[in-house]
Amino acid sequence: MKEFELEPGEHVVLEARKHWFLFLCELLPYAILAVIPFALPKLLALAPPVAQYAVFFDYHTILTRAVLGAWLLVTWTSAWGALTRYFLNAWVLTNKRIVDIKQSGYFHREVSSLFLSRVQDVTTHVEGVLPSLLGIGDIKVQTAGEDTEFIMNGIPRPEQMRDIILRYVSVEPKNTSV
Amino acid sequence: MSDQPLQPFSPSPILLSYLPSDMSIGIAVTWALYAVFAFWAVYSLVAIYHWLKYSHASWLAFPAIAAHIFISFALMSYALSGNAFFLTSYLP
Repeated sequence: MKEFELEPGEHVVLEARKHWFLFLCELLPYAILAVIPFALPKLLALAPPVAQYAVFFDYHTILTRAVLGAWLLVTWTSAWGALTRYFLNAWVLTNKRIVDIKQSGYFHREVSSLFLSRVQDVTTHVEGVLPSLLGIGDIKVQTAGEDTEFIMNGIPRPEQMRDIILRYVSVEPKNTSV
Repeated sequence: MSDQPLQPFSPSPILLSYLPSDMSIGIAVTWALYAVFAFWAVYSLVAIYHWLKYSHASWLAFPAIAAHIFISFALMSYALSGNAFFLTSYLP
């Protein structure tokens, strides 16, 4: 764990990322981009006014094959970048704190910690048919201080996560100092 | 197309009409591929650096990097020669 150092007596309880379904939704635009070169000539052929442009998509010439290869390479690399970002964003629960690791872009990383001794309330929020079926939801952790909220969006099994957080909150001595 | 001998570029006349008159199609394609491969190399290096630096994702780091490199090389090979190795049967 290079983002933060564990304190003496601290250990990682669990690590969570966004639900896999949300990751698949992020991949959808890249899948559409990959299919476009194969679908477009067929769609163009169906519309007589633009059918002449279907000739652009004859992949038996060296030129169009090179363009197709480059297109697919860029699409694949971008989709792989989405996988990279998915894995670099995580929430880590230790027995003393919650750590939110946000990677908004390459070389743009934000790591914030919330000590469990400051937690006042933990709320889960699941809304919609698919999120209910797949177990996707948000967790809002409220603290005693001025920064009142710590939100985890789109995490799998939020109720289970909430229970684990609360279990460790009850074990951790409360920080009551003003 | 890997079983066919290399042919001179034979793009459609419509496509050729979009190129500047002093630029050959071969040069345009070569430079376009250089640009794409340069983008790929820089992007991949940056992403691999992030995979390897942040060890909390390491259980998947090496399979993900290996898959990226294999698939990318197959697509590069397809763009250059028409032979995409294990992907050949899925491409025209």
